[in-house]
Amino acid sequence: MRRLASIPEALVGLGILAILAAMALAASALFPGDPFAIKGAPLLSPFQDWSLPLGTDRLGRDVMAELFHGARTSLAVGLAAAAAAIAVGAVIGTLAGFAGGIVDEALMRLTDAFQTVPSFLLALAFVSVVGPSLTVVVIAIALSAWTGPARVARAEVLSIRERDFVAGARVIGMHPLEIALREVLPNALAPVLALSSVIVASAILIEAALSFLGLGDPNRVTWGSMIAEGRTVLRSAPFLSIVPGIALVLTVLGVYLAGEGVVEGTAVRKSLS
Amino acid sequence: MSDFSLNRRSVLSGAVLLLASTALPTIGWAQEPQKGGRLTVAADSEPRNLNPAIVASNGVFFISSKIVEPLAEADYEGKDGLSPRLAVSWEGSEDGKSVTFKLREGVTWHDGKPFTSADVAFSALQIWKPLQNLGRVVFKDLEAVETPDEHTAVFKFAKPTPFQLIRNALPALTSVVPKHIYENGKIEENQANTAPIGTGPFKFAEHKAGQYYRLEKNTAYWGKSKPNLDEIVYQVLPDRSAAANALEAEEIQLAAFSAVPLADLDRISKVPGLKVVTKGYEGLTYQLVVEINHRRKELADVKVRQAIAHAINKEFVVKTIFLGYAETASGPVPKNDKQFYSADVPNYAFDIAKANALLDEAGYKPGADGKRFKLKLLPAPYFNETKQFGDYLRQALAAIGIDAELVNNDSAAHIKAVYTDHAFDLAVGPPVFRGDPAISTTILAQSGIPDGVPFSNQGGYKNADIDAIIAKAAETLDASARTDLYKEFQKKVVEDLPFINVADWTFISVASDKVGNIADNPRWAVSNWSDTWLAK
Amino acid sequence: MSRAFLLLRRRLAGSIFVLLIVIVGTFLLLEAAPGDAVDAYVVSTGGDAGLVEAMRQSWGLDQSAATRLASYLWALLHLDLGQSVAFSRPIRDVILERLPVTLILMGASTALSFGLGSALGIYAGARPGSLRDRFLSTASLALYAVPGFWLALVLVIAFAVDLRWFPISGFETIASGKAGFAHAADIAHHLVLPVTSLGVIYLALYLRMMRAGMAEVWRLDFVRAARARGLSRRRIVLAHVARNALLPLVTMLGLQSAQMLGGSVVIESIFSVPGLGRLAQEAVALRDTPLLLGIILVSAVLVILINLLVDIAYAFLDPRVGASEAGA
Repeated sequence: MRRLASIPEALVGLGILAILAAMALAASALFPGDPFAIKGAPLLSPFQDWSLPLGTDRLGRDVMAELFHGARTSLAVGLAAAAAAIAVGAVIGTLAGFAGGIVDEALMRLTDAFQTVPSFLLALAFVSVVGPSLTVVVIAIALSAWTGPARVARAEVLSIRERDFVAGARVIGMHPLEIALREVLPNALAPVLALSSVIVASAILIEAALSFLGLGDPNRVTWGSMIAEGRTVLRSAPFLSIVPGIALVLTVLGVYLAGEGVVEGTAVRKSLS
Repeated sequence: MSDFSLNRRSVLSGAVLLLASTALPTIGWAQEPQKGGRLTVAADSEPRNLNPAIVASNGVFFISSKIVEPLAEADYEGKDGLSPRLAVSWEGSEDGKSVTFKLREGVTWHDGKPFTSADVAFSALQIWKPLQNLGRVVFKDLEAVETPDEHTAVFKFAKPTPFQLIRNALPALTSVVPKHIYENGKIEENQANTAPIGTGPFKFAEHKAGQYYRLEKNTAYWGKSKPNLDEIVYQVLPDRSAAANALEAEEIQLAAFSAVPLADLDRISKVPGLKVVTKGYEGLTYQLVVEINHRRKELADVKVRQAIAHAINKEFVVKTIFLGYAETASGPVPKNDKQFYSADVPNYAFDIAKANALLDEAGYKPGADGKRFKLKLLPAPYFNETKQFGDYLRQALAAIGIDAELVNNDSAAHIKAVYTDHAFDLAVGPPVFRGDPAISTTILAQSGIPDGVPFSNQGGYKNADIDAIIAKAAETLDASARTDLYKEFQKKVVEDLPFINVADWTFISVASDKVGNIADNPRWAVSNWSDTWLAK
Repeated sequence: MSRAFLLLRRRLAGSIFVLLIVIVGTFLLLEAAPGDAVDAYVVSTGGDAGLVEAMRQSWGLDQSAATRLASYLWALLHLDLGQSVAFSRPIRDVILERLPVTLILMGASTALSFGLGSALGIYAGARPGSLRDRFLSTASLALYAVPGFWLALVLVIAFAVDLRWFPISGFETIASGKAGFAHAADIAHHLVLPVTSLGVIYLALYLRMMRAGMAEVWRLDFVRAARARGLSRRRIVLAHVARNALLPLVTMLGLQSAQMLGGSVVIESIFSVPGLGRLAQEAVALRDTPLLLGIILVSAVLVILINLLVDIAYAFLDPRVGASEAGA
């Protein structure tokens, strides 16, 4: 952790993420009730009325409240999608690598199939078919994001499975599935987790793009839907799309920076040891 | 002018624009039409079928009305609000069983063949009656079309059919297509459905999928020295903000059907060289309606429906969502309809306290969390405004303790959910008012419509009185008696609220100052544009 | 040569299986969709119950899903993609019309992002830890974080509406009658903004990969040896460090091709470019199952071919890769 702090980019990234997490946690306390509630005159510019510091949108809703509640949704989507993708990917990759043979071949062709279809197209089709809700959006994103972790996990497993402790587990008669999930998977997990920052960031961006196309959950504020709402008045009330746009860029930036910092930090540690 | 304006605000903004544009030294309004030029127009979709005789919808008319003409077009001044196109006169018989059309002479199809009564008979019997989405209702009793000579067509009906209805249906339902092109093979698969051939001022030239449609001047058009333009190009711009940008960059000269978002109009009206036009859509009024599923026990209670009506602030909706470019609705017929509108209906003023009292009376007391009951709200996705009204309605219902969950579907899923599966409690719909209740608003109240019919009463509502009025009006020949029945219909609907009318709106055009003669009839965007011109 | 051939054969065998999964998966997904092509069609027309029934029948939607899938696969065996319900035209024609546009758009974006991205990456990676390295890597990260659709909106307003340097939308000037070089220049002029919006994120990606790759190569022994031999820095950077760092980028090129097609969905609709991405979005909205299947199939074949080319290129570039490589 101290090494992490010595890399300035990582520090900035962690700082951004900390602020974001604080925003998400404080959203309900600072802005209780429905962030969609109509609070004032529509299209109020920022810094005019201090009870509505960032102004209001087309219907007179508090942009500041939407921004805070949006932080929560964006983070939730990013983390949930990444968690789901990594969990599914790690399990499939481990099984493929450990089982080998026909199972490996079939699972890898399945991975190929998912990787061949453009992920955004898959998410788009899935959401318009199942109907947009937060869970569906998360599943849609995870649906195409699991292939990366699966490949990395498989590669790791291939290098681990011949090691002594696995052979030892075989000797004491553990079930192969148990060996795969209990012994091999945890050891293959570190490099898979290194992918998480990329997946979180791209999940946040995909959610934004889906909301931009009108395929977000209408009962939740998301930054993507705020941008989409604001774009029809992009010229007359640019703040409506600029404010959530900046929030989005900063968040993704924060996730990347922190993620890279972690990777770099561990790399330094490795090379020192 | 005030007859055609939507409300005071649009009159005012119109007046301001008028002043602004006369103040401009370059182009005034009252210039001599000029000849030639290419008018480039924004189009947001590409209809798969461009045959207006089969698909009588605005998206199709927008392009094909320049190519294929109806028997008559809507008109601000003409008798019964009509001006002649392919028919020069029309007359209904006393018994309501025949209508005689005198047709225009000297008209030729774009391929040079003459236009005759045989084409009208063919279009009516082979296309309008069996295949057209609206013609199937209006012409259901059409038995035969007699053609005593090349320029007379006599429509014979098996049952009396109100002439008023036929007349009101002329602009939208009677596009005439050439018999010699359609008589061989399956009509639905004819090539002319994607490259139409008609009698109109413009000929279909080409369609580049995803890019544009191009129409060329018909030099043999029957209208004297018309059309003025050489070409019309419809540039496909699927993105919502593209039309405003393209107008500003002078890449297009016209964006009709509110292609420029309402929220951007204020700004764009100040851009030099562009004008905002609110006229020219009076015959294409859309109604903002809350559709109700009466199968839900709570919503089957008229008190609950009335409470919802009281909870909606119609003025707010008009002012904030439509930015003044709409009018509050008092019932199922829009106020801008001069034939049928009746003000003699109950009024549900915006009154939260009264709404709460009505809900208490109905027995739906709020729980500990302040909520009375939950329901599913499905706003139609086709318009920005229907979606925004969905957002607003959720808030309005929250204020009276009804917890509405929004369900966001794409178009196909919305149609299926509401009209086939009935998987909704409340829905927000934008039905079109087509100038006669028989072919528009009554379908939302009438019972006995099979499942799956889009934009109809699929909420399970049944009211014998209302059904009786609708049935009686369908066979009442006298125009004023028929109108009175529809006034009665309006009263009953607003009393019992099978659905709730919130606002009526028409569209806005934004055009370059160089474009002349726009909005000169109540269906301008879907009329033939033969006199529209472009300054050099 | 035989190595490349072996790879090719192995890949093709696997690909057919992959394509089958893709087809059946997509079919089942759209089958589960609420609303079919007729529902999508009547949105703009309305119509009574009889009309809706008749339409379902004439479009073949009244048959069971299994029957339709079977007849689709059977037709596919004869290289027939079927008839689009939404456009009432053969799907092959509809797709062939849009494919060149997407190929040009994606090709140009790839060239821009790969060329400029790796060049800047070399520039940054030549002196790891220097000011320009820090600056370029932070700037690229910022670009990487900007959503493409957002960038597109801003570019349009700045360069098309205000400055009017580029057209707002479209693929070429409408019915301009231009031919030859003038036509190509016209298309290029139209594509500057879409290509930039689509390519920037990958530009950032390649820059970062190149830089990171170089940083790693610098540490390797042979670079130290080259330095010890007294080779010029420029020569070391280009001939040794950059060359070795380029390999992972080539792999990425293949992986990104599918993603770029996805990104083009939004970009194509903002700039109204008539490409495959927008067509795919329309196919979903219109519930045109056979068309979407056709598009996904074509793009899957495209992705497989690109990856194959990348692998062959890789096999030539890096002698360590053998035909036994398991298909990553």
